[in-house]
Amino acid sequence: MNASFIRFFFLSLLMVLLQVVVFNHIHLFGIAIPLVFIYVIMKLPLSLSTVWVLTVSFLLGLAVDIFSNTPGMNALACTILAFVRRPVLSLYLQHGSDYVADEPSMRSFGMGLFVRYALSLTLIYCLLLFVIESFFMFDALYLVLRVVCSTLLTFILILCFDSLSPGRREKRL
Amino acid sequence: MRNLLDFLIKHHAWIFFIVYVAIACILLFYSNPYQQSIYFGSANEVSAKVYETTDKITGYFGLREANRVLSQRNGELEMEVLQLRRRLQKYSYELAMDTLTAADSVLCPYSFVVAQVINNSVSRLNNYITLDKGTADGVCPEMGVVGLNGVVGIVTVANEHNAVAISVLNPKLRLSCKVKGTDCFGSLVWDGRDSRYAVLEEMPRHVEFEPGDTIVTSGYSAVFPEGIMVGTIYAYSKQKDDNFYAMQVALSTDFSRLGVVRVIHNAEQAGRRQLEKEASR
Repeated sequence: MNASFIRFFFLSLLMVLLQVVVFNHIHLFGIAIPLVFIYVIMKLPLSLSTVWVLTVSFLLGLAVDIFSNTPGMNALACTILAFVRRPVLSLYLQHGSDYVADEPSMRSFGMGLFVRYALSLTLIYCLLLFVIESFFMFDALYLVLRVVCSTLLTFILILCFDSLSPGRREKRL
Repeated sequence: MRNLLDFLIKHHAWIFFIVYVAIACILLFYSNPYQQSIYFGSANEVSAKVYETTDKITGYFGLREANRVLSQRNGELEMEVLQLRRRLQKYSYELAMDTLTAADSVLCPYSFVVAQVINNSVSRLNNYITLDKGTADGVCPEMGVVGLNGVVGIVTVANEHNAVAISVLNPKLRLSCKVKGTDCFGSLVWDGRDSRYAVLEEMPRHVEFEPGDTIVTSGYSAVFPEGIMVGTIYAYSKQKDDNFYAMQVALSTDFSRLGVVRVIHNAEQAGRRQLEKEASR
């Protein structure tokens, strides 16, 4: 638990820094924005209590908000994302198979399940973020375009990150 | 009460969720974009530090482009400076022409070319002046060079676009001069000491003059017309053989600040020289 905590602390730190330093400056074709830091929320162990997941997500969103001068926007989206994370996952799980790895990843979940899981969460997050954003400026076509493009870009990047992360030791044994 | 506690414990996840959403919404909708909080914006210490560090690193990435833009801009500005300088030169030529035609009608058989001094020295013994006009503009050897305040020198060599004039501040140049208002002449030569003064030698003793009198060209040399200002008498003394005075002349031209000069062309110079040569044979 303790080692896992430290690992997630550094993962969060790394992802927030990457997001604010590198990915916040990427604005592909003027519409697609990569929001890779939600990878941390996806990776949080399933055994972690909902309260903790909510807290971590909220703080993560707040940190990104502070750096990108969008107070509350990412924090709100992250909190909602953290809340729907488990329901989304249970949507894809067959009722018979009760075995699911504790920490979501391509390796532990298998290709099909993880892709569905990550893609849905990314889509939800992008939708949330851009809907929140459109409270201030609404443009339907632009909104849809932005959601779709940003989702794809973020999803591809998250798959890259996931393939970079080392496999869990338990898995290898 | 117990029911309430039970409810809270049972639904604590919901309560946390609602609290976080409420905080986020407060931040989202109640923050004034014009008075952003110091703690929730990129102005706080941590984020400022992070951005400062990144900028230090990423600042290098754009340097090539920045260099290119800067050097291009530099080139453009340089061209502009050259253009403006040329225009300024043109205007100062015109100004010099205006003042010349207005000031004296002495230069009747003479015409002139306005030139810019591009190299000049006062510190050596043999000083020369380089001009930006050459034979293409009508500047030839043995033409007189006059500044705004008086005699400057005589052109010695000229190529197509440049000319070198021997300065008055050169002992090799002897200039025939006279005290204004008299007809007795002497020869002006620089003694190599002070760029402000030259010596007028071989002035006959019977000439009457005072310190402060004006020295002008005599017009005997065909290079300069008569009556061009050279300087004023500063002091005088007897020469060794007692029959002549030697005067120290304060030159009217400031040789350390030469700019636009006029090169005097005497249409009759060649003929006159020819004639003089024949006569002395």
